[in-house]
Amino acid sequence: MIKNFIHQFASPKTYIYQVDRLYPYILYISLTIYLISIFWGLFLTPEDFVQGNSYRIIYLHVPASFISQSLFMAMAIASAIYLIWKVKLSVYLVRSIAPIGAVTTFIALISGSIWGIPTWGTWWVWDARIVSTLILFIMYLGLISLHDSFSNHEKADKFLSILALVGSVNIPIIKMSVEWWSTLHQPASITISNKPAIDLVMLYPLFGSMIGFAGIVTCLVILSSKLQILKRERNKSWVKNYA
Amino acid sequence: MNIIKYELLKLRSKSRGWLGPILVFILIMVAFPLTIEISNNDLGQSFFSVLWIAMLLVMMLATEDIFLEDYNDGSLEQFAISNINLSYVVAAKIFIYWLLIGLPISLLGSLFCLGMTNSIYLASHILPILLVTSYIFINVFSFGNALSLTKGSVLGTLVTLPLLLPLLIVLGKVVISINLNLNYLGFVGLLLGVLSIIIFLIPLIISYIIRAHLE
Repeated sequence: MIKNFIHQFASPKTYIYQVDRLYPYILYISLTIYLISIFWGLFLTPEDFVQGNSYRIIYLHVPASFISQSLFMAMAIASAIYLIWKVKLSVYLVRSIAPIGAVTTFIALISGSIWGIPTWGTWWVWDARIVSTLILFIMYLGLISLHDSFSNHEKADKFLSILALVGSVNIPIIKMSVEWWSTLHQPASITISNKPAIDLVMLYPLFGSMIGFAGIVTCLVILSSKLQILKRERNKSWVKNYA
Repeated sequence: MNIIKYELLKLRSKSRGWLGPILVFILIMVAFPLTIEISNNDLGQSFFSVLWIAMLLVMMLATEDIFLEDYNDGSLEQFAISNINLSYVVAAKIFIYWLLIGLPISLLGSLFCLGMTNSIYLASHILPILLVTSYIFINVFSFGNALSLTKGSVLGTLVTLPLLLPLLIVLGKVVISINLNLNYLGFVGLLLGVLSIIIFLIPLIISYIIRAHLE
């Protein structure tokens, strides 16, 4: 039954009808979670002992950088699915995730740079974490321009997924860069294995904002993938019915 | 073996292909001290960053049309339908490019290192690293140029340069360790590890890409 379900869901048509049903729920729930955690984080949590009020940008910066890396991993997994099982839907997803990943990476860079001024006294440092995030941003743009430069869609899909798969080797490097190289950037505050280095009062809204942000980004991916599918499958008869 | 010989003869007869990048490398390395005051004693400090970037650029230029000519004259198609494994051909091609371009440039880089820093110790220790790095660079840029086969090398560079930037950070660390007389074998091990993965994986990926291009 599960296999059947996956096969059905892998068809762009079923995908569109299913996500259309789910979309409003995801949107409203994640918006509510994000707004509540932002309000909690901005007004209800105490000031940080060292960083004062400036740390509150964490509720934008951490979700954005977390999502920007996760999206690339998602792209890599979807690419592998496309290359192995030739599931068309997964390559549409890869292409539609790329611009959204670029935007979240950009948000992470900008918010980090704004956070840098009160805490480090500088907008930009040439250290491993920041530079590797910038590399991630350029990689997203490279993926988009690679896909757009081929008029033959099949070729473009193949190359896009190969590059996304190969490029994903950089993700662990970005992830571990704060630990492998001595940098200004603080190590991650939340890890799975250790006790969080952040107080619980600040941790709960941070988790909330991460979940909410992930939900909002999911909604954007849904919208963008719908656009991609309708564009690519515009000659199919079900698209005319759908539109 | 025949393939290697064939590729060697082909690249050797095309002096623009192998001599050009080497000369460009020399020109960059000669030009950079001119931009600093001649009497500057700290030439060695900025030398290595220029060296890595020059390597990067020259390898990028050198692999620009590594597959393009063969693609245009149909020999790649010949290889693809013959019973020779296409990834062998690709690996042989990359090896020949390294032999005729990467190897001389590494030797020259080590020589320039001697000239700029006046230290035989540094120059002899940087040579193996240059050899390994140039092989990695050629492999990765060939991958990029295979992706953008008919679309020019700017696209290929755009998509592969980000993959190499973490390597540059490692190279910077290596130079610091050698300079401070620390143990840098760990970094060499890391580079060799990267090389041993790349040396098998990239020809496989490139042959897949070329088949996609030929379809």
